[in-house]
Amino acid sequence: MGASPLVAYPTDALRQHDPFKRQPLSTNTSANGTPLLPGPGRAQQAPKSLDNLEQMNEDEKRKYVKGKKLGEGTYANVYLGHSRSDPTFKVAIKKIKVQKEYQDGLPPDAVRELKYLKELHHPNIISLISVFSSKDQNLNLVLELLPLGDLEMLIRDVERVSYGAADIKAWMGMLTRAVWFCHDNFVLHRDIKPNNLLIAADGEVKLADFGLARSFADPGHKMTSNVITRWYRPPELLFGARHYSGAVDIWSVGMVFAELIIRNPYLPGNTEVEQISLICRQIGTPTEENWPGVTQLKEYTVPSQVFPVQKKDAYMARFGSVGVEGVDLLAKTLILNPKNRITARQMLEHKWWHMDPKPTRKEDLPRKSGSEADEKAANDLKRRAGQVGEEPDRGSRVARKLDFGAAR
Amino acid sequence: MSRRPGAGYYTATAAKPGGGMPLIDKNDMCPVCKMMRYLNPDMEFLINPECYHSMCTGCVNRLFNDGPNQCPYAGCHKTLRRKGFKSAFFGDLAVEREVDLRRRVNSVFNQVEDDFETLRDYNNYLQMVEDLTFDLVNGTETKRREAEAQLLQWEMDHKPDIERNRKAGREAEEQTRRRLQAEQELARQRRIAAIQEQEEEKLALVRNREAVLDSMATGGQRVQLKKRGGVKAADITTAAAASAGSSLLPGSLDVGKLSIRGLKEKKKTAAPEGPYDPFGGYDFVPSRYKVHSGLGHPLLERFEHDRAHVTGGYSLEEFTARAMFEAFAGLGVFIEDEKEVGIGLSAGEVTGMAAGIAATGHVMDPR
Repeated sequence: MGASPLVAYPTDALRQHDPFKRQPLSTNTSANGTPLLPGPGRAQQAPKSLDNLEQMNEDEKRKYVKGKKLGEGTYANVYLGHSRSDPTFKVAIKKIKVQKEYQDGLPPDAVRELKYLKELHHPNIISLISVFSSKDQNLNLVLELLPLGDLEMLIRDVERVSYGAADIKAWMGMLTRAVWFCHDNFVLHRDIKPNNLLIAADGEVKLADFGLARSFADPGHKMTSNVITRWYRPPELLFGARHYSGAVDIWSVGMVFAELIIRNPYLPGNTEVEQISLICRQIGTPTEENWPGVTQLKEYTVPSQVFPVQKKDAYMARFGSVGVEGVDLLAKTLILNPKNRITARQMLEHKWWHMDPKPTRKEDLPRKSGSEADEKAANDLKRRAGQVGEEPDRGSRVARKLDFGAAR
Repeated sequence: MSRRPGAGYYTATAAKPGGGMPLIDKNDMCPVCKMMRYLNPDMEFLINPECYHSMCTGCVNRLFNDGPNQCPYAGCHKTLRRKGFKSAFFGDLAVEREVDLRRRVNSVFNQVEDDFETLRDYNNYLQMVEDLTFDLVNGTETKRREAEAQLLQWEMDHKPDIERNRKAGREAEEQTRRRLQAEQELARQRRIAAIQEQEEEKLALVRNREAVLDSMATGGQRVQLKKRGGVKAADITTAAAASAGSSLLPGSLDVGKLSIRGLKEKKKTAAPEGPYDPFGGYDFVPSRYKVHSGLGHPLLERFEHDRAHVTGGYSLEEFTARAMFEAFAGLGVFIEDEKEVGIGLSAGEVTGMAAGIAATGHVMDPR
C-alpha cells in the first residue's frame, strides 16, 4: 500500500513543531537493516499521540480561569482562579517561573512539589487538583485555595488575635497529623515553619510548600544538610549530618509548637553559628554523653561554655500554659539526639491530646481579623454622619428622574 | 434641547411685541415702577406664569390687590391675578417657564413603562411627549396652540389612567423615602455600635491597668490579692491572662476559655462530639505484612554501626519499612478487573480477593 499523499502531507507539516526528535520518515530501514513498515500507519501514530497529549493539556487548561495575582515569589507566581464550569469552585494557580539555571528542564523544587503533592492526599496537606502547562512551557499547579492566610500571621498579630491552649492543641494536632502522614508515606518535608502552614476556609491547617521535600534516602545515600529554614533547623543538620531521618521534621514541629505558645520565634538565630549557640543555651549543649558520636560530625562546633540539658522545670516556666503533658511533649520533640527524639506516630499517641482542654473545633479556631463586618464598620467610621453606604443597591446609584415638583 | 442663558433666546421664539423679559438681577430695578434695589434692599421680584413678566412686590400689590388687571408691560395684554404671582426659582426666566411647562406636561403624561406592551411603544410615547413639550416651550404660536389642545385632549381622554399613575407615583416616592431613611438608620446604628465597642475596649484596658496597680499596691496582703485575681480572671479576658502562671494552677482555670470568641458556646451545645482522635481517623498499619524489628539484610549490616548514619539519626527501621511497603505496593490491584468490572465489583468479590491477598501476604511475611 502506497503512502497516501493526503495523509503523509499533514504529518510532515506537523513534524515541524514536534519537540521530540524522531527519526526522519524517509529512513525506511532500522539499525539492523530490517525494512520498516512504510506508509501512513506508522507515520500517523506518533504525532497523533502527541496531539492527544497536547489536547489533554489544552482541555485541562481550559477547565480553569486564571484571575488576579495573589502573590509573587522568587520561583513562582500565585494567581486566584476558578473552575470554568463552576465559578464558585475557587482554586489557587501556582505558575512556576522559568528559571535561568534550569532552562533545559523543570526546576527541582517544582518537580519535588509535583511529585509529592500528587501522591499525598490528606485533609491536613494541601491538595493538588490539576497540573497543566501554559504557553512557553510554563508549569501551572492548580492547588486548593486556602484563603485565610497562614499560622505565622496569627502568631504575629498579637493585638488582634488571641488564642488559648485549646486552639494551640487543635493546630498542633493538625500539624502533627500532616507530618505523620508524610513520614508514614516515607516523605520528608524539610521546610516546616508557621508560614508554610496555611489555613483553609473552614479553619483547617494544611501543610504546604513541598519544594524541599524528598523521600527517605536509601542507606549510604547522602542527603543535603542545607535544608529547613534556619530557626527551625535541628542540630544534626546544623552539624552537617548527611544521613538523617524524619526526626528533622519533628524538631521543626517542636519549634512551631514553642512559637505558638510564646508567640515569638523560639530560637531566632541570625547565622548558623548563632543558631547553634542558641540551641546550646536554651536546650543544652550536645555532647558525647547525651548524643554519642556527635563530636565526630563534620561541622560540630559548640560554644566553649557547656550548658547542661534543660530540665522540665525550665520549660515549665516558659511554656506552662499548655499544661504538664504539653510541656512533656514539647520537651520530647526537642531532644538533641535524633535517635531518641519522639516520632510523629509517638507524638500522636501522647497523653496530651486527651487532656483538658479539648482541642478547639476547627470552625471555632481564631482567624485573621479584618473580616467583612469589621471592614464595614471601619468604613462606617470613616464616613460623616448622615451619609449612607456607598453602594447599598442599584436604586440609589442610578440617576433619578429630575423631580420638578421638589424644586418648589 | 439647549438652554442658552439670557432672555434674548426666549424673546426670539415666543416673545410678544415689546415684552422683553429681563433677567432678574440683584442690581436691577423694577421695570414697572423703576424702584432700585439700592433704595429698597428688601425688594423682591414676582412673576406670573401667564406671561413671565417680572415686577416688584410693591407693584404687584398696587396693581392686583383690587382684582384682576392687565399686565403693566407695554404690549402685553394678558389679564393677571394676584393669586398667580410667585417668586421665580430660577434666575433665568426662560428656564423657569420651561420647568413650569414640563411639570404640567408630566402631570398629564405620566404613563410608566409597565403601561406599554413593548419597549418600543414606550419609547415612541416618550418621543411624542418630548415633541409636544418642545412645541409648547419653543414652538411658534400655532404650534403652541396645537400642542396645548393636544394636551387637553389627552387629559380628557385618559383621566382615570392619569389619576391612577399619579397615585402610584406618590406611593413609590414614599417607599423610596422610607428605604433611604432605613438605610441611614442602619448605618447610624452600625457606627454607634462600633464606637461603643471601641469605648468598651478602652475602658477594659483602663480597668485592667487599675487592677494591676491595685494588686501591686496591696502586694503584702496575699489573701486579698488572691481573691481579687480570681474575680478579675473571671471577667477580664486578656492575652496576659493566657501567660504561663495562671494556667499552671491545676483546675483553677479553664484554659480553653481564655480566647475570646463570639458564638462558640452556642455551636458547641448544638453539636456534641466524640472523643478527640489525634490520628484523625487514619491508620497505616499495613494489612498484608508485618514489619518485625529484626528485619535485616546482609547489605545493610555495615550501615547499622556506621557512625555517620547512627549519629545523624538515620533510621534503618524506616528503610526496611519502606522497602516492605514498596515491595507490596500495587499488590491486590488488578487493572484487568478494574477495567472490566469497574465499579460493578461486588462486595463479596472484594472481600474474597482481600482474604486471598492477606493469606499470601502472610506466607510472604519473612520471619
